[in-house]
Amino acid sequence: MSSTPPAPKSWLTNQSARGLRARIAAVAAVALSALAAMAAPAAADGSPSATPGGTPARSKTSFVIGVKQDIDSLNPYVGVVASAFDMYQLMYDYLTVSSAADFSPAPSLAQSWDTSADGKTWTFHLRTGVKWSDGVDLTAKDVVYTFQRAKTDETANGQYSSYVDNITDISAPDAATVVMTTAKPSPIMLRLAVPILPEHVWSKISAADAATFANDKGVVGSGPFQLAEAKKGQFYRFTANKSYFDGAPKIDELVFGVFADDSALAQALRQGEIDMAQELPAAIAETLRDKPGITVNDAQYYGFNEIGYNLGAATVDGKAIGDGHPALRDKQVRLAIDTAIDRKTLVDKVLNGHGVPASGVIPPIYADLHWNPGTDARVFDLAKANAILDAAGYVEGSDGVRAKDGRKLELRLFGRDSSEYSKQTTEYVRSWLKDIGIKVTVSIMSEDNLTTVLGKGDFDLFEWGWVVEPDPDFQLSVMTCDQRSYEEDGEIAAGWSDSFYCNPKFDELYAEQQTMIDAKARAQVVKDAQKLLYDDVAYSLTYYYNQTEAYRSDRFTGFVPQPSQGGILAFQYGTHSYRSIEPVTEAPGVKDAGTGTTIVVLIVAGAVVVLAVLVLVIVLVRRRKSADDRE
Amino acid sequence: MRAAPASAWRRFLRDREGLSGLVVLILFAFMAVFADLLADPAGLDVTKATGKALEAPSWAFPLGTDHAGRSVLTMIVHGSQTTLLVGLAATVISMVLGTLIGVASGHFSGLIGGTLNRLIEWFLVIPYLPLAIVLATVFPPGLPKLVSVIVVIGVTSWSGTARLVRAQTMAIEARPYLERARALGGGHWHQMTRHVLPNVMPLVLANTTLTVSIAIIAETTLSFLGLGDPLRVSWGRILEQAHDLGAIDLNAWWWVLAPGIAVVLTVRAFNMCGRALERILDPRLEM
Repeated sequence: MSSTPPAPKSWLTNQSARGLRARIAAVAAVALSALAAMAAPAAADGSPSATPGGTPARSKTSFVIGVKQDIDSLNPYVGVVASAFDMYQLMYDYLTVSSAADFSPAPSLAQSWDTSADGKTWTFHLRTGVKWSDGVDLTAKDVVYTFQRAKTDETANGQYSSYVDNITDISAPDAATVVMTTAKPSPIMLRLAVPILPEHVWSKISAADAATFANDKGVVGSGPFQLAEAKKGQFYRFTANKSYFDGAPKIDELVFGVFADDSALAQALRQGEIDMAQELPAAIAETLRDKPGITVNDAQYYGFNEIGYNLGAATVDGKAIGDGHPALRDKQVRLAIDTAIDRKTLVDKVLNGHGVPASGVIPPIYADLHWNPGTDARVFDLAKANAILDAAGYVEGSDGVRAKDGRKLELRLFGRDSSEYSKQTTEYVRSWLKDIGIKVTVSIMSEDNLTTVLGKGDFDLFEWGWVVEPDPDFQLSVMTCDQRSYEEDGEIAAGWSDSFYCNPKFDELYAEQQTMIDAKARAQVVKDAQKLLYDDVAYSLTYYYNQTEAYRSDRFTGFVPQPSQGGILAFQYGTHSYRSIEPVTEAPGVKDAGTGTTIVVLIVAGAVVVLAVLVLVIVLVRRRKSADDRE
Repeated sequence: MRAAPASAWRRFLRDREGLSGLVVLILFAFMAVFADLLADPAGLDVTKATGKALEAPSWAFPLGTDHAGRSVLTMIVHGSQTTLLVGLAATVISMVLGTLIGVASGHFSGLIGGTLNRLIEWFLVIPYLPLAIVLATVFPPGLPKLVSVIVVIGVTSWSGTARLVRAQTMAIEARPYLERARALGGGHWHQMTRHVLPNVMPLVLANTTLTVSIAIIAETTLSFLGLGDPLRVSWGRILEQAHDLGAIDLNAWWWVLAPGIAVVLTVRAFNMCGRALERILDPRLEM
């Protein structure tokens, strides 16, 4: 039912162990959505079926955000969904944080750091005087504990292996210094998104319990907000940490209310039940644009969508798997398909103009790393696409379908049922490809099913997308040979690769950027890698979509966009906005809403009084009548 | 008692409710069969849409346009094909299953009858919608969605019919001529097909018409919840898109109202026919 942009396949962290867990989460999500659907008819009038109904009366300094994605777990070793990672950022701190201005690594718990000449030893100087919410000092010991556990504990490592596996040694020479030694120099050392946990609390949670620990009561953290109350599927209430080291939040309370659908979310914002809608489909956001007191922020986002190809599914050992159409291994065919995709129409019609056509796999929001072909970009041209296929020897048959060597160009295209955008994109692509003599059969399936199908290589084309984190490493790794599926106990297990792209030249570039500490030089390699993918038509990127947020500007102000040019205001990398939001001092909108409610109350009260009088009169008249009868 | 077909037909024509339902049904059937002639199927192609997005009803687009600029009228005309096809096909599955299991559970006593009866009860008590949703979700992705929707609706909606048929079967089996048939050595098969089935058929027929309307609503519901075939226009799919793309917030009432009224009209027409048939075929109701 949802029409959100593609759900992230990866978020923040990037380890293959996540694959299985994400899938389990997806199954749970299906079950949940079935339940939600059951509840839906009951709330068919469009009223929010899961409003933060149980929240206590709101004060002016309480900021309520409506979200559509429930948090799967508040335990930072377990959660997989994007919203869960936002909760961890509120409750805990990290060594470094992505800056609000441009995602560059900025000091957080570590106020400064040094690197040895060989780039393998990192010394982090911690802030002093930071306290856990229970009053205990946060010291280097906690940091060492956190990283040790992330290395050794199976559950913790499953979540954070990509950050810690390269670290060979970690020690604390004194209470404010942490020294880490790595096997290889790595730029990721400044983006260690591992939340620092209090040793005196988490050491009591055994490795066996770590995977099931809920972490939803009496949470001890150091972050700018502390969890006050969590009701799964309803709301998550946080209170501000007024002694936060990086500046106390200006609001007292931050509440996340979980909503079932977009219309309900928009309605709640309109009614003033919530102060912000985290994410709305563009069409619905448009309707809020001219409402007084509401501001719509059409923010640039760090995701892209693509039409993916089966480039010859194989395992890491090179054993062919799946049943992909062999023609897709022919670059000319992919080139023709790519040329037949009208990205501008997709942006205009599917996204209602809230996005831009895409090319490089690192979105333009990361300006330093993004690559695009500029004027060399392939443009939509059906005649040219037809000519490419003609030249490549695909001859059109009597039924209008091209064929070569006796095999027709009949392809399957898989879309995702959870995204209205995905369904629409497949519809458009099918129609364009028909015009160039390729017959496309579209199937729409759950993301869970699609993951399985992709891993086995049983596909030709698919529509999906990625959410790209500030460090390009993971996004590039997806296209390496090593991320193809692998065989385990005779079964095919999926890696992160969904195209089975394998190009030694690309792998070289990937390995090269992995050990480059110099940001400029690394950016160049990252750009070269993107160009290679574009030239090889490994993916046909469709668009970079915007994220549309809307908030009550008559009540709150002070949002900090990330990045500063047209960035998003909530669910950022870091807690920049949450800490800066403040109530508007003069709030006429609130007063209006107040009189509105008063009128409603008066009307209802009036109606009740009239009804009561009426009943009374009737009763009296009747009684008199019966009394008359008796006489 | 069974009415002779000819006289039943005459009585149906005299039944104003049934007749008006029939007229509406014929109109919709006509629309579905001649959809390609009534509205150019190219109008369903998003890349070849002629209108602007979300145009209000006008002479060019009598029922307005959707987000891609397609005529809503064209989509409703073509959507009737899917909706009616799914409705009817699912009903056939449901009726066959319901009749078979109903007759068998009424005819056989002991373990078989008891088991079948428990099975019917099991399907009766499970809330229909969650069951359908779960089934639609776990259906093999390789099969066309259209088939899966038909099967899901068919499999989840037979229990009511089975219950009805079972009761009727038991009533018929108590009649003397069945005792005679048994005494003369008629087997189970003979009894069920020659004596029971002809007697429950009128009931099944009346029930079928009512089941179609349930199946159509089910198809619309499943499509609306995103479990239908997203690439085939159906009324439920139009509603789903309208809802997902914010038709209500955008005040695009034509986008929601038109398919909604189409569903209401069809379902109402089937119900009217079904009720009229019931009245004619089951004289006990005429009291």
